[in-house]
Amino acid sequence: MTGPNPTFNTERHVKYYLRCLKTFLPSAYTSNDSNRMLLAYLTLSGLDVLGVLQSKTTPEERQGYIDWLYHCQVPSGGFRGFPGTDFGPGKRNKDNEAWDPANVPATFFALVNLLILGDDLSRVKRRECLQWLPKVQRADGSFGELVGPEGSIGGPRDLRYCCCAAGIRYVLRGRSETGLEAVPDIDVLGFISFIEACQTYDGGMAESPFCESHSGHTYCAVSSLDFLRRTSNDLKSLPLLSAGSNQFEALITWLASRQTAQLEEPEEDDDDKQLEVTETGSLDDRVRGLPNIQPPGADTISCAGFNGRCNKYADTCYSFWNGATLIMLDQYSVVDEVRNRRYLLEKTQHLVGGFGKGPGDPPDLLHSYFGMVSLAFQGEAGLSPVDPTMGSSERTVRHLESLSWWQS
Amino acid sequence: MEGKYSTDPEWASVTPIDLDDGSSSGAMPLATIAYPAEYLEATSYLRAVMAANEMSERALNLTKDVISMNPAHYTVWIYRAKILFALDKDLNEELSWLNDVSLTYLKNYQIWYVTITRQPPRTESQERKDQENRRLENRPNDSKRHHRQVLLSSKAHFPTFPPKEADFLMEMFAQDSKNYHVWTYRHWLVRHFKLWDQPRELEDVEFLLKADVRNNSAWNHRYMLRFGPRDTSLPDAGMVNAGDLSTAPTEKGRLSVVDEDLVDGELKFAQEAILRAPENRSPWWYARGVLRAAGRGLGEWEGFCGGFVSEGAVKSSHAVEWLADVFAERVGKEGEAVRMLTMLKEQFDPIRKNYWDYRIRKLDQAVA
Repeated sequence: MTGPNPTFNTERHVKYYLRCLKTFLPSAYTSNDSNRMLLAYLTLSGLDVLGVLQSKTTPEERQGYIDWLYHCQVPSGGFRGFPGTDFGPGKRNKDNEAWDPANVPATFFALVNLLILGDDLSRVKRRECLQWLPKVQRADGSFGELVGPEGSIGGPRDLRYCCCAAGIRYVLRGRSETGLEAVPDIDVLGFISFIEACQTYDGGMAESPFCESHSGHTYCAVSSLDFLRRTSNDLKSLPLLSAGSNQFEALITWLASRQTAQLEEPEEDDDDKQLEVTETGSLDDRVRGLPNIQPPGADTISCAGFNGRCNKYADTCYSFWNGATLIMLDQYSVVDEVRNRRYLLEKTQHLVGGFGKGPGDPPDLLHSYFGMVSLAFQGEAGLSPVDPTMGSSERTVRHLESLSWWQS
Repeated sequence: MEGKYSTDPEWASVTPIDLDDGSSSGAMPLATIAYPAEYLEATSYLRAVMAANEMSERALNLTKDVISMNPAHYTVWIYRAKILFALDKDLNEELSWLNDVSLTYLKNYQIWYVTITRQPPRTESQERKDQENRRLENRPNDSKRHHRQVLLSSKAHFPTFPPKEADFLMEMFAQDSKNYHVWTYRHWLVRHFKLWDQPRELEDVEFLLKADVRNNSAWNHRYMLRFGPRDTSLPDAGMVNAGDLSTAPTEKGRLSVVDEDLVDGELKFAQEAILRAPENRSPWWYARGVLRAAGRGLGEWEGFCGGFVSEGAVKSSHAVEWLADVFAERVGKEGEAVRMLTMLKEQFDPIRKNYWDYRIRKLDQAVA
């Protein structure tokens, strides 16, 4: 057991991120080769939130990173997730371009990475990228991941792509239409109705309509809508984002219910938690025959993280997905911050730096970043404030919104 | 470098395209990976056949090799699907290969996961190794699921539901009964092949709930089977709506035609599950969804919930919450609602203290 006042071990975390930035990731990361843009985001943004990106890298290095990000830009607009699909100069044509497509999440993370590094996006093919975006949107309003052969839309119907698409639109369209004459917008109303259709009977949001509610997808749904309302005055009163509406209150209840002291699978078999019920007698008698429940002992609930679905165990990253969503809805106050902090610092923060998925798990880039940002939401000393929708420092968002083409 | 492909006569006609990570032009690559030589070689041949848009047997085999090293590659699956259709391959053979890799993947993941969570502190090099393993098994699931979906979508090859598919899903659930990708895929199958009333669907759900009454994924699937829209012209419609959503948002989730017997049966089913595990949230929320679909209020269960809550003896915190919601809607009963919420806050659910306070404040505002 750890002491009464757990600490965020800044030095170890900085070391962890620098190792990820400056040395090769081990060969088994090969299965995540196509997600390099995401891994780059987790690394750069991690150092930025720790406030050391400028001091621990040189201007030359940062320029080199920016050049690499632009190296991943596809000639027809948008970004690849990794350079591995690039055939090289002069080989791209109509027949093969489907095998080297721009990718929706990669494009969003590439833009965020550029902003974190202080780039002004002047080398981004802005018009081309925004022209491509409606081509990845389906008739039902949802987004795919890429444009495949014969203009087909690749990837499942999935709120993750919706959120990244809305992010791309927010970053590149901005509040101004300057330079975007004759560039068609996405179908905003269709997009909103797809997202609203993803809310399930228990109040959470699912990957697609009628799938199981899930915190990651719930975050994506709400951040999609939040991106839209940031640049549009007529979208302020969406029911899902408006306190008092059924949709909103059901969502808050569902999000609050995700905080849990169930941290890992119990050792013994689950069966003993199920009661033997007699199937005879009246319903009332059978209810009366049930044992009374007891208030939980204080020691069993001193740490409480979040799960991503009903009846699952806590997982570091869900402190972010649920917490960030509650911030966007302006209801973070329903969270028990003390127990969440204790969970992260005492249970999943790792000795070598970074965070693992659950107690005793080794650190990985994803859980390290989202565990840390959850603490940043709660004002942990030494961490920069983070914008929940962009998933990067508020500094990054201020930089974007200060760019002249973005504002007017 | 001598490699599997560079020494193979079948590939002699192909000039591989090396990875250009940008460093030759002065860029500094991010998230660099220590790629194994076999991966670098195989992907350099993949780029070459993709650049030529080659639809061939050898390219098909090459995709399998790349997939075995990087199953999350987002174009290799689409390329593979295109070749399968172009060469008119046997899609059942493809499915059985997919079954094997999916099951092996899940099994490995679990064996590995159990080992690492039960071990003493580790050295840094072991940490790196574990981290590698974790990465290895992190996300590839949805590409495989989607590939399956692409194959099964072909009306020419699969005019009707291949029944073996349900067996495969149950095998997957035997390994991980809450696997989100597998459930999402099953959900797609129901809509694509119109399986709502296929006895097998409900039987499988009941089998899984019998094994674990807390399996929320199974509860959700049941809800979709019972109350999901069946209008196939709207394959991805959300919750049904008795009225026009823009004018009557509270109607969301409400059916326009209600089969009261079915509704009563579902409520009974939920009650039986609650008796087996009264603190299990899933059936309580299922029942709320059922009542909403039927346009019947929460008050219908006031008596049932009342049985769980008496002075000094509470048998389920969810019954307390239910009663709080019933009283909150009833004029003059707000005090009772606050009493229920206070009980949750102070005794049974202190982790959510701030949430229960939020609810109490809202009631105070309503009364004031």
